[in-house]
Amino acid sequence: MERRCRVSGTLNLLIGLAMGLNLLALASSRLPTLIGAVAVQGVVLGVMPLLMEHQFDWIVALVALGTMAVKGFVIPGLLRRAMRTASVDREVEPSIGFVASLLLGSGGTIAAVALSRALPLLPEHAGSLLVPGSIASVLTGFVLLIGRSKAISQVCGYLVLENGIYLFGLLLIHATPLLVEAGILLDVTVGIFVTGIIVDRIQRAFDSLDTRKLNVLRE
Amino acid sequence: MLFVMSLGPLLFAAVFGQLASLLASRRMPKLWLTLTLAGFALALTAAVLVLATGIEWEWRSAFPLCGEPLHLRLDAISALFLALLAVVGGAGSVYAGGYWPDRVHPLSAPAGRLWWSVLVFSLFVTLLSSNGLHFLIGWELFTLSAYYLITLDRQRVEVRSAGWLYLGASHVGMVCLFAFFAALASQTGSWELGPMCEHAKLAPLFWLALVGFGLKSGMFPLHVWLPSAHANAPSHVSAMLSGMTLKMGIYGLVRFSGWLPVPVAAGWTVASLGVASAVLGVAFALGQHDLKRLLAYHSVENIGIILVGLGFALVALTHGDAAWGRLALAGALLHVWNHGLFKSLLFLGAGSVLHATGTREMSRLGGLWRAMPWTAGLFALGAAAISGLPPLNGFVSEWLVFLGLFDATVSHGTATWTAVPAAILLGVTGALALACFVKVCGVVFLGAPRSDAAAHAHDSGPSLRGPMLLLAAACVAIGLAPVLFWPAIARAVGEWKPAWQGTDAPAPLLTLGWVHLALAALATAAAVWLWRKAQRSGFRRALTWDCGYAAPTTRMQYTAGSFAGIITEWFAWILRPSRHEQRPDELFSASASFEEHTPETVLEHLVQPVGTVVMRVSTAVRRLQQGKLQAYLLYLLVGVAGLAALVMSGDGP
Repeated sequence: MERRCRVSGTLNLLIGLAMGLNLLALASSRLPTLIGAVAVQGVVLGVMPLLMEHQFDWIVALVALGTMAVKGFVIPGLLRRAMRTASVDREVEPSIGFVASLLLGSGGTIAAVALSRALPLLPEHAGSLLVPGSIASVLTGFVLLIGRSKAISQVCGYLVLENGIYLFGLLLIHATPLLVEAGILLDVTVGIFVTGIIVDRIQRAFDSLDTRKLNVLRE
Repeated sequence: MLFVMSLGPLLFAAVFGQLASLLASRRMPKLWLTLTLAGFALALTAAVLVLATGIEWEWRSAFPLCGEPLHLRLDAISALFLALLAVVGGAGSVYAGGYWPDRVHPLSAPAGRLWWSVLVFSLFVTLLSSNGLHFLIGWELFTLSAYYLITLDRQRVEVRSAGWLYLGASHVGMVCLFAFFAALASQTGSWELGPMCEHAKLAPLFWLALVGFGLKSGMFPLHVWLPSAHANAPSHVSAMLSGMTLKMGIYGLVRFSGWLPVPVAAGWTVASLGVASAVLGVAFALGQHDLKRLLAYHSVENIGIILVGLGFALVALTHGDAAWGRLALAGALLHVWNHGLFKSLLFLGAGSVLHATGTREMSRLGGLWRAMPWTAGLFALGAAAISGLPPLNGFVSEWLVFLGLFDATVSHGTATWTAVPAAILLGVTGALALACFVKVCGVVFLGAPRSDAAAHAHDSGPSLRGPMLLLAAACVAIGLAPVLFWPAIARAVGEWKPAWQGTDAPAPLLTLGWVHLALAALATAAAVWLWRKAQRSGFRRALTWDCGYAAPTTRMQYTAGSFAGIITEWFAWILRPSRHEQRPDELFSASASFEEHTPETVLEHLVQPVGTVVMRVSTAVRRLQQGKLQAYLLYLLVGVAGLAALVMSGDGP
């Protein structure tokens, strides 16, 4: 019982860290910082399944390792490479200002905490920050997607959004751990590949990665 | 029994004749004409057999087509319309060869034949099928093929816009019919059609049918598409559209008001719409300067007369199946035939005028009687028939409707109070129609030619004259011997309402037949006597409105607008004529002009403003579509948040 409390305390600490990284991602004005924030968030989230298990399970350990590797190193590495090869400016170019983004993000976090009180949760999840952290990350991801115009920052937005979904998925880790995780990871990897190809195409067609220029494609 | 056995093969042969003509339409015009006419002849034989003997033909296929087994049925009501289709379609097919020949229209003439065959085939399907799904398929197919026929001459921009309006309006009606048949199928559990008066809960569906079929029939105020479509189509197509496809709307109304229960208010509504169509249709016709547009508005008027008859028959149902309803319905159904005959005759006549002079503007015509005696004579006969003058067919059917209304008047019920104004307004309609056709015949055929084209007109050839002669002969036959045609009408009435079965002609109809014969004989005798007298004493040809001028010019004649000026002034509140006048401001003024034009009021003052508002809203909504990924994500977020709020508030599922 005591261990459980301690574990839950550590878990909440990590989720709080992830929520802080959300705000860092919103506030960062340079792409490398943004990518770094997302990478650290990925590693933090990857540790969580290990903490949630009471005894060692090699499947869960595998999933955790895979998550850390993909989210913390492979995808950020790909993004940094894309940034270098497409020689993008390091500026983020926000369409929603940093202060406004931060306000939206923190407002969203507060709203998420308030909202999760109203949700009918299982008693063992009541004290944890899993649900508010997940909703806050989804909202942050949306703010990044809506408020940033470069394709790479869009990818970061998707990653933060996916991290939120992953957090929610942790609620179900006892039910279908491998399936949920593998599915989400596969989605993200495919999404990153597709986006990587699109980034390349956008760069070639428009000589820029500004997705606002895509609106010449509307009918 | 032998008849029943022969009906199926006859009808299948007719349908296959049409299908075969479809294949022949491109390359072999002669074969196409033969096959089409053969198909019509077979269909007419089948229809006459059903109407003369009162038997019914029904056939179900063992195999499904488009998911439903075929169910064909030919009863007296569908036979009535099938017979009209055969006569009008046959006349139009022959006329098309002379009016829209391959050497003048190398591209559109074969296309016209193709779509004509498709139109006729789909009309066959619609009239014969007794399954909601196949009915809808036939209906949609004939709507579309009519669109291609209207826009045969689609190089001209007004033809394209008329076709577009027709297509739009037809599909509004089509949506109503989809809703009607789908609701019917879901409430009865099958697409099968047939008498189902015992299901009282089906009654509200009548309103959907009224809008759907009413749009096709061109009743006021759903007629907005009709004048431009009928004016801009080639004349044989106008004749088919006006003579037959408008009647498909009436067919739908008659068919489903007979099979399904109707709401109590249905009769009054149909009758009021009929009176409005009749009076306003002829008022709009009086304001027109375009010959074919004027005829198109007369279709609205005649549909109105048919609807008055049908409406009062429906009223009679709520008054314990009163016998006057039978007369009113018989008048309406006979008027379906009559209007189909004389309106196609008039459109073919207008087509001959257009063919000879190249213009539909009445202010450029005039004096054509001398150049085109056949066309003028036949057109005048059609004009007399449509104005309801004895001894022609228009009088017979209008008189039957009047008889029904008069009997309703003396029935001392609530029907009295509506039958009296309806009868008066129908009388007004007849008088106005007469005035309108005096104007048409006077301006187009009498007087002096107003343009070079009219001066050098020539009469049309036999392929144009023949169909007109056939239609005119049918008009005269129904006028002189109405008793011969009564059993057919009575069988259709009995099919609609089994309580009104019986083929004994009402006594007044017998009298009317004799009076018409006597009138015709007297008129012939008077004409022969006058002709002899003129031959003996010699005569001098002069202009119609010479008025004693020594050297009259053509510009001194009455124009179409001035002829009807007084009457259009009475209806200025609805016609809203637009005038541009420049009055002479001094003695011997060098310039003065007057121009008047009657727009389609309902279209310009009702439909177009609504359309403008819809377009404005759509343009505003379209700003949301801006091609920015970020914006779409925002919409997504707002949508999801809205759904979440809906679920959380407990209103959602």
